[in-house]
Amino acid sequence: MEQPDAIIHQPVRLKIMAALKPLPASDPIEFVRLKALVNATEGNLGAHITTLEEAGYVNVEKDFVAKRPRTRIGLTKQGRRAYEDYLDFLRAIIGAGEAP
Amino acid sequence: MSLTSKEAAESLAQAEQARRRSAELYHYSRAAPHFILWGGIQVVGYCGTYLFPYHSNWLWAGLILAGCIGGFIIGKRCPDREARPQAWRRFAVMIIAVAFVLGTYAVMWPVHGTQPAVFPVLLEGAVFCAIGLWVGLRYVVTGAVVFAAALAAYFTIHDAGILLLMAAVGGGSMILAGFWFRTV
Repeated sequence: MEQPDAIIHQPVRLKIMAALKPLPASDPIEFVRLKALVNATEGNLGAHITTLEEAGYVNVEKDFVAKRPRTRIGLTKQGRRAYEDYLDFLRAIIGAGEAP
Repeated sequence: MSLTSKEAAESLAQAEQARRRSAELYHYSRAAPHFILWGGIQVVGYCGTYLFPYHSNWLWAGLILAGCIGGFIIGKRCPDREARPQAWRRFAVMIIAVAFVLGTYAVMWPVHGTQPAVFPVLLEGAVFCAIGLWVGLRYVVTGAVVFAAALAAYFTIHDAGILLLMAAVGGGSMILAGFWFRTV
């Protein structure tokens, strides 16, 4: 990767991807929990999730629990791979910076 | 778009921090129902022992069995499908814990009635502290509070009233910790 992934290369979206990474694919996180985790406002988080969803990096599931709406977000396989590639890109820069 | 190695290191550190916090909170949320279950079992067990001391062995045997089955069911219903086949391990952990407590009594038979009331709660506190070293601070805080309160109770209360205090310290604190673990 010569250039960073422009979708992930944004601080809030990077945090979202990092927060989703350790979660199992079958157990997506609720929007409210993710909001607290990445310390973002509802509107801000919603906009970033839309960007990630359009890129195919996250899945957004909407349903009702006890008549209350619930939104859950999970990482897709493509998103998981893109995130790993982005981390490799960062490590490569750090490695190049440390090289004599 | 170019990044310096310092910026890359900062981004990597932020990502790692977010990943670690998310993993920790996920672990807490999965453990929470087990904490509430076993906290409730301890409250019923200690209060039942206080009220019906001559039936305490059967009461505890039934409660522990119910807890093991309940823990297994919670594990089987875990939203993480990959973790479901591991549900039997929680069952096994409780059997090991009960075997350890009974084995300890066999080797070092309690000489006072308050000892068997306090020992399982002390063990619970110590185990939570140890788990916390790997998982996160909330376990350490819960374990330290439980351990200290149980020890303080042992040296200050010398009658059956200690059973009610252990219901609050051992069971109550687990229930509270369970609700705490559900928060972000």
